[in-house]
Amino acid sequence: MAKTSRPMVRIHNTETDEVIDREMNDAEFAQYEADKVAQAAADAAKAKGEADKTALLVRLGLTEDELKTILG
Amino acid sequence: MATTTNYGWTTPDDTALVKDGASAIRTLGSSVDTTVKALNPGTTSGDLDYYTAATTKARLAKGTAGQVLTMNSGATAPEWATSSSGGMTLLSTTTLSGASTTISSISQSYLSLYLLVYGVTNATADGVFYVRPNAVNEGNFSGVTSTPSAYKESDSASILSNSGNVVRTNSSNSWVYQIENYTSSTTLKPISFHGVYNGASNASSFGFGGLKTTAAITSLLFANTGGNLSTGTVLLYGVK
Repeated sequence: MAKTSRPMVRIHNTETDEVIDREMNDAEFAQYEADKVAQAAADAAKAKGEADKTALLVRLGLTEDELKTILG
Repeated sequence: MATTTNYGWTTPDDTALVKDGASAIRTLGSSVDTTVKALNPGTTSGDLDYYTAATTKARLAKGTAGQVLTMNSGATAPEWATSSSGGMTLLSTTTLSGASTTISSISQSYLSLYLLVYGVTNATADGVFYVRPNAVNEGNFSGVTSTPSAYKESDSASILSNSGNVVRTNSSNSWVYQIENYTSSTTLKPISFHGVYNGASNASSFGFGGLKTTAAITSLLFANTGGNLSTGTVLLYGVK
């Protein structure tokens, strides 16, 4: 059985109405890998922001609801 | 010589000689032939005839496919013209699948594109659902969105789920996405989108701004950071 080494993509040509499912080409795979790295960085930044926020609230002795009330 | 009341065809007088009958019939027949042809000037299948005077007609050659019949600028005669009426034309229906789905070779014959996207689920995890015109990712979008802190908000393609990840198993989502002046190769492209997703939680998102490209938009790539697209439908309309 042939092994799929790269993710599959679908191309729908609206001129011919032809639909092709194929493996990613080099450029697409490079972009796919870059997207994954960017997503991981974005997720990490978001998680760090949440952690920093929680830590700051603890230092200030406030709950999130109390902060919302202050910022009202 | 006597003549007929309506078309003035020449007929023999009551006193005309019988010996001149053949000539009189030939003259009358010729006149009838000329008149009938004037009343039926068409020459080709699909031609139309129209009056140019009370008893005179002209031929209007058949139009081409899609043309409509209208009056000329002087309102004196009909003519064929290309329809100028606006409307939406369904260009394609695409089922989402794979790590990404690209709608390619988009017709360049319309003023704007209108997309209805719905029923999107994916295989692995909740994720960010986005569209990339011409498959360009970075630096291609500028505008206001419902949640600016979302994934690649300020510089990326249009994040259709910018209020939070799409729950991968909930297919009740739906978005509208529009690109104006998409065929231009000299101007930036205004875009807008809005939608609702994640069922009971009713997350909603919107975005207004533009694509920072002067290139004509010929393709649209859809993907979800949560993994391969499992289901989803994209209806692509051209708008005039």
